[in-house]
Amino acid sequence: MLVIFTDTDTDLTPEKAKEFGYHLISMPYSYDGKTIYPYEDFEVFESKKFYDMLRAGTIPTTSAISKEKYIDYFEPFFKNGDDIMYVHLSEAMTMTIENMRAAVKELQEKYPERKFYAVDTKGITIESLSIVYEIGDLYKAGKTAEEIIEWAKEEVDRFSVYFFADDLKFFKRSGRVSGFSAAMGTLIGVRPIIYINREGKMISIGKERGKKNALNRLMKYLEEKGDDVKSHRILIAHSDAEEDANELAARVREKYGDDCRIEIVVANPTAGSHCGPNCLGISFHSVKRD
Amino acid sequence: MDRLIDGALFENMVKGGAENLYVNRGIVNDLNVFPIPDGDTGDNMFMTIDAGAAAPSDGQADLGSVSARIAHGMLLGARGNSGVILSRIFAGIAAGLHDLEDADITTFGQALQKGSEEAYNAVSVPVEGTILTVFRDAVSYAGKRINNDTTLDGYFADLITELRSSLARTPELLDVLKEAGVVDSGGAGLVYIVEGMKHVIDGGEVTHAGQGAASNAKQINIESFTADSELEFGYCTEFLLRLQRSKTDIEKFDINEFTELVKSMGDSVVSFLDGTIVKVHVHTMHPGEVLNECQKYGEFLTLKIENMMLQHNETVIENRFEIKKEKVRKKFGVVTVASGKGLVETFESLGADAVVDGGQSMNPSSGDFIKAFETVNADTILVFPNNGNVILAAMQAADMYDKADIRVIPTKTVGEGYSALSMLDTEGKTADEVAEEAEEYAQGVVTGFVSRAGRTTEMDGVSIIDGDYIGFSDDVVYSDSPDKCEAASVLCDKLDAGSYDVLLLLAGEGATAEEAQRLYDDISEKYKDVEIIMRDGGQPLHDFILVLE
Repeated sequence: MLVIFTDTDTDLTPEKAKEFGYHLISMPYSYDGKTIYPYEDFEVFESKKFYDMLRAGTIPTTSAISKEKYIDYFEPFFKNGDDIMYVHLSEAMTMTIENMRAAVKELQEKYPERKFYAVDTKGITIESLSIVYEIGDLYKAGKTAEEIIEWAKEEVDRFSVYFFADDLKFFKRSGRVSGFSAAMGTLIGVRPIIYINREGKMISIGKERGKKNALNRLMKYLEEKGDDVKSHRILIAHSDAEEDANELAARVREKYGDDCRIEIVVANPTAGSHCGPNCLGISFHSVKRD
Repeated sequence: MDRLIDGALFENMVKGGAENLYVNRGIVNDLNVFPIPDGDTGDNMFMTIDAGAAAPSDGQADLGSVSARIAHGMLLGARGNSGVILSRIFAGIAAGLHDLEDADITTFGQALQKGSEEAYNAVSVPVEGTILTVFRDAVSYAGKRINNDTTLDGYFADLITELRSSLARTPELLDVLKEAGVVDSGGAGLVYIVEGMKHVIDGGEVTHAGQGAASNAKQINIESFTADSELEFGYCTEFLLRLQRSKTDIEKFDINEFTELVKSMGDSVVSFLDGTIVKVHVHTMHPGEVLNECQKYGEFLTLKIENMMLQHNETVIENRFEIKKEKVRKKFGVVTVASGKGLVETFESLGADAVVDGGQSMNPSSGDFIKAFETVNADTILVFPNNGNVILAAMQAADMYDKADIRVIPTKTVGEGYSALSMLDTEGKTADEVAEEAEEYAQGVVTGFVSRAGRTTEMDGVSIIDGDYIGFSDDVVYSDSPDKCEAASVLCDKLDAGSYDVLLLLAGEGATAEEAQRLYDDISEKYKDVEIIMRDGGQPLHDFILVLE
């Protein structure tokens, strides 16, 4: 049978994973010499504590997981005669996927009968989560791996995320966003707007003065780029900015009605290490990504 | 006709003018339209003319060369709007005296006429009732009275007569002067300068040689370093060293090696070689060591050592510009003006390549800007003067600098500068586009200030009591209170702070952390929909700056 995997960088929590039948690969982050594997080293992500630590000045680093670790995750299933589909975070953002490929190559030599499918969500946090949920739905509905891959070919680029950040120092350090002009440093009251393109890369697409304007800008993108929005989930992620997330949700409901499927999630700590606290983003079904 | 003006006499006249202004600069400072003690026209004009008087001789003694040298010094040293205009007056005079060995009264009068024209060219919208009017009236009046019997002394007496009359008329031409009950400060400064010149013509001595006075212009408080103080910043040590053949092989002298040697004993090192003279600037904890080592190569021509704990504010200016040159030439660089540790850091974190120390309490000169430009390795340098009285000096520096495309964004407050810089996005844009956008970003901003009042008066319907705190914005007073937080809070109301998205609160050096917090709590409570951000700006003069966007 087909088993599905995803990683914690997609914001999928263990409960939700169970609901869909996902197996969860833990993506680590480190600070003060400690390396922490989400949901392996803790059961509940204490987001407030984590983001407060970032506010106080800690900037965690993240690292790729090794080939061996992937083998540990995948091998029991191949051994058991299962096929694997891995819905993962953007390859353009991490070295992890290369290690994953090496692991799969090794395993397929050992288990030549077994099939492995990878779906690059070309995103992180809710951008990926939108796709993870959709694939989870298809999986639960009994779709075959081939059918899911066929769906992904067209649909991965049809989910967009737009978010704003509060403090650029996290992004600057990780070097994972392009388009920030050289003159941009710590911003006070100004929020850069970031988007993830079709290549799975984060791109800065401007800034807004004040949170209110930044929030309006997210709404503007939802209205302009959204396509068949109400037949899909609308996901809102925040890095310890719950009030802002609630406000955005209220704005969405106001526009699209109370029956739209909104879910608010807290950005996972590994992604949070790169975006810092007080970010807010929205992911929705859209016209094809740029 | 009376005697001729030659190079030596002209130079002495300028020195005499500088000296007389130096003595009276406090009076000029106090001719302040605004009721807070921030007037600095006298200081600015003095530092400007002093930079001319102190310009080192190049050996040319003819009137044309001497006036050109003095004018060049003043153009570089120009601070504040009146200072810039003064420097342009002397630049015009020098143009009128070009190539002349000496000048008679008629020729000199024509040169003054040129000076007046050049000064009008210096400002985009000349305002009557200022130094421009005062000088033009005087030159015109005295010029008409020249005849065969006119003596140099008489000519200058005529100039002064009309300078004074015209100055007395300035409140009739400018409402702000009338309301404040003062005459134009720049015009007043000019009167003192011309009086000082006449004093020299009359045979008076020039005791003030120009140099040195500039460093006296800011009072040094020796009480700031006591028996219990710890030396934190060391000594600003500057000297000229003449290389000696008996000590070193001058032809093989390697300035880079020498610089490294100095660097091993201090920081902020600037040194360069000009012929056989080495100019050295270094901040060191042990100036004696530096002198001993350097004396191995030559002998000192001049020497200055200052404890930076006493004059820290001034050395910061130099500090910022040294050897910061970046290796890769960028497309865009940013130079801005601020004073106060927190504000400077804020601008640096916003991406400013150089922050020129200064602002309302100390206007930087064109030369300060040029020094800053030299540290920025960029094709286009965007300049944010952040003060209405600094814009002209920045523009003059831009005209004088040809190693980069300088764009002065005429920001009048730190709020405007902050706003423009924080929204700046240069990616893929031309210099024209970036400059245009920066100007737009600066426009939607309102900046409010809270400062201590320096006199009792009434302005804009607000009764101001000496010693109280007043809240004002764009030169309009909105509040007065013995409590600075109250003054700020009322100012916020009057400026309709609740209708803005972001309120940046910059606490100045005069505000305690407790006061800042009290104000922050108060306005956070009042304006729940506004994003309020507090920063320790550390700026002098303004206890609070409120930036509304």
